Amino acid sequence: MGKLEARDIVKYFNHESHKLKALGGINLKVDSGDFVCLVGPSGCGKSTFLRIVAGLETKDEGEIIFDGRPVTNTGPERIMVFQEGALFPWLKVQDNVEFGLRMAGIPKDKRMKISNRYLDMMQLTKFADYYTYQLSTGMKQRVAIARALVMDPDVLLMDEPFAALDAQTRDLLLVEMQLIWEKTKKTILFVTHNVAEAAVLGNRIVVFSNRPSIIKKEFENNFPRPRVAEDESLLELQHEILSELRPEVKKK
Amino acid sequence: MAKYTIGKIAFYAGIIAVWYVVAAAQIWPSNIFPSPYEVAEDLAYGITDGSLFYGVAVSMWRLAVGLAIALGGGIILGIFMARVEIVNQTIGSLVLGLQSIPSIAWVPLAILWFGLGDGGIIFVVAIGAIFAMTINTYTGVKNIDPHYVEAARNMGAGGIKLVTSVLIPAAFPHMISGFKQGWAFAWRGVIGAELLFSYLGLGFLLHAGRSLNDVSQVIAIMLVIMGIGLAIDGFVFKRLESHVMSRWGLG
Repeated sequence: MGKLEARDIVKYFNHESHKLKALGGINLKVDSGDFVCLVGPSGCGKSTFLRIVAGLETKDEGEIIFDGRPVTNTGPERIMVFQEGALFPWLKVQDNVEFGLRMAGIPKDKRMKISNRYLDMMQLTKFADYYTYQLSTGMKQRVAIARALVMDPDVLLMDEPFAALDAQTRDLLLVEMQLIWEKTKKTILFVTHNVAEAAVLGNRIVVFSNRPSIIKKEFENNFPRPRVAEDESLLELQHEILSELRPEVKKK
Repeated sequence: MAKYTIGKIAFYAGIIAVWYVVAAAQIWPSNIFPSPYEVAEDLAYGITDGSLFYGVAVSMWRLAVGLAIALGGGIILGIFMARVEIVNQTIGSLVLGLQSIPSIAWVPLAILWFGLGDGGIIFVVAIGAIFAMTINTYTGVKNIDPHYVEAARNMGAGGIKLVTSVLIPAAFPHMISGFKQGWAFAWRGVIGAELLFSYLGLGFLLHAGRSLNDVSQVIAIMLVIMGIGLAIDGFVFKRLESHVMSRWGLG
């Protein structure tokens, strides 16, 4: 299992006629099996950083090191879960989940065996033959997570996957996400703008500053799991995170 | 739909009745304005002596070959235009120009290049349909949610696999429109070309009817052309479309 490291990641955006510095040198080390949440004001570049780690976006300076080697492209060891799921509407749930296996040339019966295991883990077995439009937003995200897990990546990169969910569905998925993490031992990088979500999920919570972003502060979070959003013991941590975050949001 | 079935039947029965009455009134001689009965007789004759089936078969075969070439070429061109900007700027601009040429205007070139045979007619059919297919494929691929492509790349799809497993299925709703337009152009193209080439097929039968001053044959063939057009629209495209739309949840 590899260790993930970001070294001095700098990224510029072309904004009208001038260049906008979005990431001002991000340094982050993630141990294998860790659960790291990235929070920051909206537009600070935390999602861009995640996309750079995934290899979906180029960087202007710095390096992403995985397992001791610099990465420049996407790879099956770093799988992204998108905010809206990005499920394929022309495929049934099961075929969506099997997509990566099919691309890897794994034969049908073996694909079925693997996908059934993850459909079961995400409680989707009953929905295997559904098309994506027949699913609720929460169900779609379950499929998106199953589709990523099937690839058996070392690192799961999650870009605000629960942002569009209603409160009850989100609470449920927050608990499940912790169980999945404990079961699969994946390294997870989880971008969110929701401080409560970060406090529930993360072992570490990394606060991004406003543009050009750097990592402003880091919190350790050793409260016992499974945690839920209304845990009072988490409130103090949430306040601390918020007090770091608030001035950054106001800078805009 | 069923609500209007009776109205529909009445409407068509009314047209035939009026047609019958006007023909029976003998305002024009019957070789100029034949009665529906004479047209039906001509149709029946064409069916019994097999000439109609042969004409339909020849036209459909040319249509199928031309359309297949147009589909294959249009999909490849459209995808390249959507994914490679230089191709779009160069070939893409040419495609826009060429699609404004009515397919029948290609007939002289087709005759000079391919001669007065199947090759020339198939060329006219293919060239008439390919640009509609190209432009719709291009639009379809351009409008793909970029996250689909990113997710697919992330899961190991690249090159031809990305094309067949993501770009084509994701662009498919647009490609059906291209297929539909392409078929409409191709159908007009094949009949038009056959009229001018006068070498077998339904268009040739139209031409033959005119040469023989046989108005009822001309009308009979026109009815067959209309019938085939309606059948293909209704059975092939409506079904394909509703199948895809319902799968995407757009139905």
